[in-house]
Amino acid sequence: MDVISGLAQGFAVAFDPVNLLYCFIGVFIGTLVGVLPGIGPISAMSLLLPVTLSGSPESGIIMMAGIYYGSMYGGSTTAVLVNIPGEAASVVTCIDGHEMAKRGRAGPALGISALGSFVAGTFAIVALMLVAPMLAQVAVAFGPPEYFSLMVLGLTILSFLTQGSMAKALLMAAVGVVVGLIGLDQINAMPRLTFDRLELVDGIGLVPVVMGLFGVAEILANIEQQIRRDIVQSRIGSLWPSREDLKASAGPVGRGTLLGFLLGVLPGGGAVIASFASYAMEKKLSRTPERFGKGAIEGVAGPEAANNAAAGGAFIPLMTLGIPPNVIMALLLGAFVIHGLQPGPLMMSQNPKVFWGIVASMYVGNIMLLVLNMPLIGMWVQVLKAPYRILFPLILMFCIVGVFASGNAVFDVFVMIGTGLLGYLMRKFGYEAAPLVLAFVLGPMLENNLRKSLILSQGSFEIFVVRPISIACLAIAVFLLIAPLLPALRKKREKVALDVTE
Amino acid sequence: MLRRAEFWGGLFWLGVGVFVTWQGWLLELGTLHEPGSGFVFFWLGLFMSALSLSITVAGARGEGPLLADLWRGARWRNVVMVIAALIVFGVLFQKLGFVLCSLALLLFLMTFVDPVAPRLSIPISLAASVGVWYVLEKVLLVQLPKGSWLEDVPYLSWLAG
Repeated sequence: MDVISGLAQGFAVAFDPVNLLYCFIGVFIGTLVGVLPGIGPISAMSLLLPVTLSGSPESGIIMMAGIYYGSMYGGSTTAVLVNIPGEAASVVTCIDGHEMAKRGRAGPALGISALGSFVAGTFAIVALMLVAPMLAQVAVAFGPPEYFSLMVLGLTILSFLTQGSMAKALLMAAVGVVVGLIGLDQINAMPRLTFDRLELVDGIGLVPVVMGLFGVAEILANIEQQIRRDIVQSRIGSLWPSREDLKASAGPVGRGTLLGFLLGVLPGGGAVIASFASYAMEKKLSRTPERFGKGAIEGVAGPEAANNAAAGGAFIPLMTLGIPPNVIMALLLGAFVIHGLQPGPLMMSQNPKVFWGIVASMYVGNIMLLVLNMPLIGMWVQVLKAPYRILFPLILMFCIVGVFASGNAVFDVFVMIGTGLLGYLMRKFGYEAAPLVLAFVLGPMLENNLRKSLILSQGSFEIFVVRPISIACLAIAVFLLIAPLLPALRKKREKVALDVTE
Repeated sequence: MLRRAEFWGGLFWLGVGVFVTWQGWLLELGTLHEPGSGFVFFWLGLFMSALSLSITVAGARGEGPLLADLWRGARWRNVVMVIAALIVFGVLFQKLGFVLCSLALLLFLMTFVDPVAPRLSIPISLAASVGVWYVLEKVLLVQLPKGSWLEDVPYLSWLAG
């Protein structure tokens, strides 16, 4: 099936009234959780995962995808108006976006972030549409050793790019694999770390773990501080950027789009890293870098484009290889599996309706987002005024409901409470949750491919070295593992971490 | 050494790593030709132990923040209250059912953790718990716990279906 006929079939799916409604609900909820600090796309997607069961697979996944890219749009509103990132990828937008707002230029800051996001989002969809079929053809040749090495590379990249200690990030990845393997052994059905509890035989659910580590832990971290919000009180004014603004932003949007897309495709990369990299690049390329941090529109346009392009790019490894490059894609993988679908090289030929339907719905969703974001800014500002002391009990209740509904078991609620406390303590002690969750999802695949490879090679590790794709992935992983030991590279990594913290 | 967060954090994960290694050993390692159920657990446990040992040693050498600094100025009582409330919620969820449990949870959080005026907290809690129950039970047909203790209680048995 060629791209054009695939896309035509996709648009037929996307324009189905039910799917249009799901897409709208997805982008609307995505924008809402992007706007609200304290609840991000990860919590929202885990919360709504059980709801998708009532519809067709394509409807559910269209909604989940909409939440993801919708939150990228919404996050910028909070960043510009309140100086609090609605979600992690908007941290950079706070720097110049809020400065612009304080100088009475909130309108153009919001306008350029919506336009930049639209351009980047559209580019990412076109690239996904063109690159995915080619990559899927290559991916058919992947065997267990290639999959194993690629997953090792993904986890290593994520650990390398985390803010703090790499040893802690790798430790969390190892913990994630262990937790992911709890339950029956896939090969010989032996129960592992189940402690004779029937609830653990099927393993620990993704939703309670994610809701605990991200939802509950975020609430616990927030309620121990006094949250203060400085909402910009002056009029937001016209959202349409001036001709000078558009001229100054064109380059950053183009560069941010390309960079974001490439980083999004990379396993372990994602929207957060893309936005930081774009900001650093724009500052370096600028003739007047001193304007950055004082309300430079390039500092809003580049990162906003980058995080949206990365959000689109991240679908490629998931759809073509079946490997989620980040936590959000891991949740989306969970949604596919719940609906009995397995993303991977055969997805396009076996389930063209789902694949092309999702691609086409992203076009539709992007247009919906532009329409939602431009005229509804005033409504989002009102949402932002809701005090956190009222929001957090409600979010907590939704977390409980979401977790219970996902498995219909009180045990899952206790898993969520336990992982919530663990996530809160991990934040305190400087351990990141992202490598743990990604490894939790990849763990069973990782073990399966490792054991299959060893059985195939009759116990020889040579199988990982003689295959070109496998050795290339492992070589990069090893380089990243030893990189922090090299003084020059260590400095560079620490600088990235410092930029992120600042 | 004992006052460093790194030391205690590393020690905790070292314990977990040793436990995982031991469990892997018990589960049977198998051979390289045919790895057993405990093969990955065992090697991952050793990897975790090595990493956490390096973190513990760094903490023992005085690296990282002090344990007390992690909670300096923080309203940690709020965290304890929320965790306790969630545990009580979990214990009573099946017995009291969704509506009463969530109503009590919301009222507790809005009264004791981060207080909200009763003229707001009471209607919001009522509307949220009954509203969510209605949407899930009646619209989305999701089965929520109805409350085994309520079945014989006059005026409340409607909640138990």
